Amino acid sequence: MNIPVELKYSKTHEWVKMLDETSALIGITDYAQDALGDVVFVDIPEVGDAVTVGESFTDVESVKAVSEVISPVSGEIAEVNDALDEAPELLNQDCYGNWIIKVSGITETEELLDAVAYEEYLKTCEEE
Amino acid sequence: MSELKQTVLHDVHVELGAKMVDFGGWDMPIQYPCGIVEEHLATRQGCGIFDVSHMGRLVISGPQMVEFLQHVLSSNVEALELNQAQYCIIPNETGGAVDDAYLYRYEEGNYFLVINAANIDKDKAHLFSYAKDYDVTIEDVSDKTASISIQGPKSKEILISMLGGQQPTEDPSKNALATTEIDGIPVRIAKTGYTGEPLGYEIFVASEKAGYFWKKLMDMGAHPAALGARDTLRLEAALPLYGHEMGINKYGEDIPIFSVPLAKFAVSFAENKGDFVGRKPLQKQAAAFRRILNRDFAACVDLPYRIRPIALLEKGVLRAGFPVYRDGEEVGYVTSGTMVPYFNTEGEGMATEILDEMSRRSIGLAYLKSDLINDDHVQIDVRGKKLDAVVVPYHMRTDAPPFARPILWQPEEEEELHVSDDYAAKAAALLKKAAGNQVWRQSECVNLIPSEMTASPAVHALCASDPSNRYAEHKKVRAFYDSEVFYYQGTKFIEEVECLLVDEMRKYLGCTEVETRVTSGQMANTAVFSALMDFKNRVDRKVTPKRLGYIMNNHIIRGGHLSAQPMGALHDYIAVDPVTEKPALVNFPVCADNPYKIDVEAAKELLLRYRPELIIFGKSMVLHKEPVAEIRKFVDEQGIQTTIMYDMAHVLGLVGDHFQKPFEEGAEIVTGSTHKTFFGPQRGVIGTNWKKEDLKYGLWETIETRAFPGSVSNHHLGTQLGMLMAAYEMNAFRDAYQSAVVHNAKYFAKCLKEAGMDVAGDPAIDYTETHQVITSVGYGQGYEVAERLERNNIIVNYQATPDNEGFTASGALRMGVSEMTRFGFGEAEFKKLAELMADCVLNGAEVGEEIKKLRAGFTEPKYCFTDAQMEGALGALSEKLGF
Repeated sequence: MNIPVELKYSKTHEWVKMLDETSALIGITDYAQDALGDVVFVDIPEVGDAVTVGESFTDVESVKAVSEVISPVSGEIAEVNDALDEAPELLNQDCYGNWIIKVSGITETEELLDAVAYEEYLKTCEEE
Repeated sequence: MSELKQTVLHDVHVELGAKMVDFGGWDMPIQYPCGIVEEHLATRQGCGIFDVSHMGRLVISGPQMVEFLQHVLSSNVEALELNQAQYCIIPNETGGAVDDAYLYRYEEGNYFLVINAANIDKDKAHLFSYAKDYDVTIEDVSDKTASISIQGPKSKEILISMLGGQQPTEDPSKNALATTEIDGIPVRIAKTGYTGEPLGYEIFVASEKAGYFWKKLMDMGAHPAALGARDTLRLEAALPLYGHEMGINKYGEDIPIFSVPLAKFAVSFAENKGDFVGRKPLQKQAAAFRRILNRDFAACVDLPYRIRPIALLEKGVLRAGFPVYRDGEEVGYVTSGTMVPYFNTEGEGMATEILDEMSRRSIGLAYLKSDLINDDHVQIDVRGKKLDAVVVPYHMRTDAPPFARPILWQPEEEEELHVSDDYAAKAAALLKKAAGNQVWRQSECVNLIPSEMTASPAVHALCASDPSNRYAEHKKVRAFYDSEVFYYQGTKFIEEVECLLVDEMRKYLGCTEVETRVTSGQMANTAVFSALMDFKNRVDRKVTPKRLGYIMNNHIIRGGHLSAQPMGALHDYIAVDPVTEKPALVNFPVCADNPYKIDVEAAKELLLRYRPELIIFGKSMVLHKEPVAEIRKFVDEQGIQTTIMYDMAHVLGLVGDHFQKPFEEGAEIVTGSTHKTFFGPQRGVIGTNWKKEDLKYGLWETIETRAFPGSVSNHHLGTQLGMLMAAYEMNAFRDAYQSAVVHNAKYFAKCLKEAGMDVAGDPAIDYTETHQVITSVGYGQGYEVAERLERNNIIVNYQATPDNEGFTASGALRMGVSEMTRFGFGEAEFKKLAELMADCVLNGAEVGEEIKKLRAGFTEPKYCFTDAQMEGALGALSEKLGF
């Protein structure tokens, strides 16, 4: 399982890359894309929408299932990754190279895990 | 929770890295590491293999097995021939489904039933509860056997290669079965599957051999595919899945079986099924279903919902359970839905090219109120968002094998008519184009279409001359001792012509009566079938006439004429057998080592079993003489009351010493078209050989009335006049022409073989006894090769052989030497042609210019009159015609 050390992780399998104090890129982790299988649709949200810690900001759909993507931060969507509209499989091919949203004006961030802690956490997920 | 069951291939899946899930109590692979999308596409483009060993396999045997199965299954078990399979539903007493299943008949002594994995215990309890009333045994062989599904356009070649070159099933149709061996291991093969692939097989082997076959299939390039892809593939094919489209609906009620479109095929109300489980409620559903198809929606009371394919028109993904709305009213719900991948295509029709680039579409099946029709728009509640979707007739089509073709819904666009008003310019352009076509087809091309011929200049001139736009209806009148009475004036000339033509054709065919008014071979057959039916019913006119049956003919895929099939001229005249519920047709069996030749001994057995009232000889893909004399002798000896007809459309010009004399051999009726091997313009002809005192002379008289007024009012007098000249030519040059045609065909076949082509037929007779030569060019390659040859000025037919699923999968070329023989081609020319053709087919060589040169010296038809007297007369007529 690929878990880059420079990123932070949520227990709902999103990754966060802080760009500065108040903005960040958010995507789904290798574990999440593997669990989903072939991603066939990403319901790209609108720029300007607010996101809230612990709340879903989009759905990622695979052939078999739909999965909500939970925001680990509160703020406003500054940019969306439009490439996922035409090529949702990018999330399978390179989940860390393909962020879903860029959030700015972050006012709150949930307690995130570093790579080591996330890897430990994944072990408990697999035991379940 | 009890431990999950495993198939014999379980460890193979784990080793391949499959993601395993609980599927109906089985630990099954949902996908392999490459993912569902790739597995789906690999199946559509190549060959996917699926472990379906988790499904239940039962063997039903015993003296009352047929009665039992007729009682517990929806299908007509008595209609199932040996080595055939049928889809069926296990109904409950109220018209719902306990399960759906597939019934296989590999042996005389038992039936093999495959049921859904999750329903094994339930199905067995259900079946056993009825079995106690019958003398039957139900054995569960699920553990002893394994099953692998092999699906996709490449599945056939993989199996052929595993079988050492042998066809997987003798009959290339869906649902055909075979029992054989691969590497010494017994294997049962079925041409069935759950992917919608036109080419797909399921094999049944002993459990311990499953691993061997799985590995072997993978080594041959088959792609493992798991339950996820199985689901997307069946959804694209709109096939029902028990628990979604069948069983209990979202509202907790039984889904009526007729809600599922397949019920139309899977449910039989044949009398011999008796009072089977669910018969009464199913009959009520069926009645409602038929009315609903006629848009009588009052019938929705008895069948309120139907399963329909739907396509999402907006971004998103359909999922099972989503409610469906029409103008704010809830009208049902999605039973299955997802996003499926497909390959993009380019081009149209046969030239459609499947690209490597893929797209996705969200499609589903939905349980919708029965008054929704195709193209109706509905709104799907996708987690609170209402998205537009449309009811579609299907998501995919399988009628252009070897590929399944995705069908994307397109809104109906009003087509604008683009027709310019510059008629003078258009008229001149048309003439110019026609002149260009004339030059190409008549002096630059080599025409090898076996059903075509070029008429002589005299025939052409006569066809264009005055009677061409006249009428000459006429009919025998009993009150005038059967003289022909004409309804129009100015017809004395054509009356004389028709009498002369009848006499010439009687002489040519060697028979007592000839009808020349039919204007095509197909019309000739229609008139004969209509007359046969009328004659059959002549003794009682107070009841609805009975149709014909049984009829014995050549199967279309084995070369039988389209016009002698239920889809052709037999359409309105053939009965449905009440036992099998299929057209009362029996096909000539063919030799195991030569599918182009009738197996006479096997045919005799069928003649005794079915005692057909009509036997139709004749083919459009024809290499051999038809065994008319042998069959005539047999039916006479056995006292089988029948009529023997020979549709000689292709070989009419070969009647005689060098091919067959149908009436001498025992045919009673000959039909034909006059422009294939014969020299005529495009018309038809019927000949019979009864005398006035014969009982069947009445049938001849009926044939006359079914020609006129039954088929034609205007019988195309111009070409009838041209036909008389063609008959003169044929009767004058018959021997020389016919011997040259048969000799050239054999010689051309040998030359093609020597040049490296794969020539079909028996080398012992130089491949052919007719004007035709068949060559194999590789499965599915026929169209491409024929197109390439056309670009090189060689015109042939691409042709499905007896092993091919249909014309889109054609792997052969059908050629005839008759037209080029008429233009004077002999051994030297056919040898040269064979070499050029082989170079073009095998090496892709450009031979167009050389073909032009070859043709250039042969542009005048032979076997026609060219003396001075003739030239003078033709010149004078042409001048009168203004040519």
